[in-house]
Amino acid sequence: MKIAFPSREFEDAVAAVCHGLAGDEQMRALNELLRTDVGARDEYIVRVELHSRLSSDPSVFAVSGGTTTAEAPTQNMPGKDHRKPAPMSTGGAAWPLALAACLTLLAVAGFAYWHEHSGTRETTSTAVAVLASTADAQWRQPSDLCPVGAALEPGWLRLKSGLAQVVFYSGARVVIEGPADLRLISPQEAYCSSGLASAQVPPQARGFRMGTPRMSVVDPGTEFGVEVKNSGTQLHVFKGEVKFQVQAAPKQNLLAGDAVEVDDAEAIRTIPIEPALFAKAFELQQRSLAMQGVRRQQWRAANARLNADPSLLVHFDFENSDPAEWMVHNEASQNAAVPDATLVGGQWTEGRWPQKHALEFRSLSDRMRLNVPGGFDAVTFAAWVNVEGLDRPFNSLFMADGFSQGKIHWQIRNGGELDLGIQGPTREECQIFASPAVVGPEQFGRWMHLAVVIDGIGKQVTHYVNGVAVSRHPLKLEPPFLIGDAELGNWNPGKAPKTAPYFIRHFSGVMDEFALFKRALSEQEIARLYSDGNPQNDPAFSNRESVSQKVSQLARPIIP
Amino acid sequence: MPSNLPQSFGDAAAAQQRFLALFLRSEREIFRYIAVLVPNVIDAEEIVQQTALELWAKFDLYDPARPFTPWACRFALNNARQWMERRQRWQILLADGLAEELARRREELAPELEGRLVHLEGCVARLPREQRAVVEGYYYRRRGIEELAEESGRSVEATYKTLQRVRQILKCCVETAAKMAEPAA
Repeated sequence: MKIAFPSREFEDAVAAVCHGLAGDEQMRALNELLRTDVGARDEYIVRVELHSRLSSDPSVFAVSGGTTTAEAPTQNMPGKDHRKPAPMSTGGAAWPLALAACLTLLAVAGFAYWHEHSGTRETTSTAVAVLASTADAQWRQPSDLCPVGAALEPGWLRLKSGLAQVVFYSGARVVIEGPADLRLISPQEAYCSSGLASAQVPPQARGFRMGTPRMSVVDPGTEFGVEVKNSGTQLHVFKGEVKFQVQAAPKQNLLAGDAVEVDDAEAIRTIPIEPALFAKAFELQQRSLAMQGVRRQQWRAANARLNADPSLLVHFDFENSDPAEWMVHNEASQNAAVPDATLVGGQWTEGRWPQKHALEFRSLSDRMRLNVPGGFDAVTFAAWVNVEGLDRPFNSLFMADGFSQGKIHWQIRNGGELDLGIQGPTREECQIFASPAVVGPEQFGRWMHLAVVIDGIGKQVTHYVNGVAVSRHPLKLEPPFLIGDAELGNWNPGKAPKTAPYFIRHFSGVMDEFALFKRALSEQEIARLYSDGNPQNDPAFSNRESVSQKVSQLARPIIP
Repeated sequence: MPSNLPQSFGDAAAAQQRFLALFLRSEREIFRYIAVLVPNVIDAEEIVQQTALELWAKFDLYDPARPFTPWACRFALNNARQWMERRQRWQILLADGLAEELARRREELAPELEGRLVHLEGCVARLPREQRAVVEGYYYRRRGIEELAEESGRSVEATYKTLQRVRQILKCCVETAAKMAEPAA
């Protein structure tokens, strides 16, 4: 094979090189040409430079950035990329290509520095996963930079020996066994360039992808393992069904109990499944599942105490919810006045723990209706939610129907601010209390605990995220505060003026617990609700740090 | 150092900070330096990562009186070489001194390249919507070609070709813009 210059073949070969698709023959011919033809070599450099500039300089999309996403919204799945139009070149801190995953932890420590100097970075963290546990792990990167519980940014994890479990923010759990190299790409994507990796993909992480040099695996919600060696890549499916793809060939299905190997020549052959290969990885997964089981038991014990609290009016833990039923039982045992709630639409899905039920709100009409009679001097709402996206200007958490005097609305604005509204004697006197933006793309797809305390005696409204107060506001309106007919995850505008689009306020995400108290809970009590319900014992699993960091950052002026 | 950093940071932390400051400022340039040898983004990124680790390990050898990027690029070239040793196809492409020649010639061409690429932003902004969507999807939103094909309902082959064509259009556009800017200078 020979490549002429200029020619169509030359252009195709350069493109193939840029995409890593050029074959040996093409590479050889290109080498020959570039060494002998100065003009071709310069042209090659120009073309490659254009390609590498496009890949590495988001500011070239500054003008058009975001237009395509606005036109074709990608339904805010946790794995989708939510990068905002990139800032103008300010020193690389915003460039998605980061250092090795662990090394970037430093970037978090040094964040304040970056913020001062770049002035444009919007989020404090681009972490996509957490290093959940390890066993005898020896790293090929500075190991003190890889503590268990560390938030991991996109980049490489290089394990010399031992085991490491990475929990992606989408919920996918991957264990690698050293020697192995795993590149974290997004909450929904990883790339294993060598070694052994096994993945468990719960329903909320549907669509998790694992790339390898010879094939990529797209998982619709199951368990599989890959082994990447020089001689070939093996894929073993232990549960469910996965789709895999070899280079540009069409996707193929592989069912539980089956395994394939793809060799250097990209030939696929069936091999016997070998669970023993991944035995250690499974053990680590199981151990961490067992730890989660312990956490769930602790939460149940805490709930038993909570349900006996006389000030608890409503408590849905969705523990005993029968998916076939459309009534949801109110677990608050001291208040018979609030009946069970009615489910209108919504989907049962996996909650904070495997096999735990939670309610997914997705469509315009999904909602849970309940009635809370009475008027109150003080009210506290608390919920565990997993926000999938903030699609609407207002996204309902819990809202009284309509908006007449004394009625309460609790929602999230699409800018990420928690919003509590109470109607006054006239519309002009209504009070709206908004927190700083605390729910951003980096919180999407992650469990978070939200709470708000309306204290009519202490004259104060306080918003909480993951047990931490994020904003306090003086309350002027007088009790009683009312709820009456109300909805979780949606809003029935009733007689309120129906000015589109504001009367569509459905929530997009999953709710796993909701509690309503007829008193103002203290800061300690809110922190306790959070720690009792936190799915992982490990404090680093939650985004408490990143939220409080974000809030402290908001204390300084930010660029809108 | 800004006052809102914890004062308890030790020397190591201070060194890490200095390193990060320098590295992040040079990261794109290191990436592009590597990309002229290994243009495939994922592979080039892998080499950048390896280079970062090596730079960090050898950071105490760095002389702060000298510019960081050229120092870093020396390691980048070595890392690219080591990386290629394990990948036959890339070895073939860069064999017989071509790697060194490309790196050298790129440096010579740097002012000229810069003169063209300064127009890239404007050229991207002028692309028709559909073409912009592809280039933005691939390079900015970092979607795979297959994913972009799925999004747009076109075939993988057609999407790949479109991307290639858009690069060609952008290349012509920046060249034209650079020529037009010349006489004024």
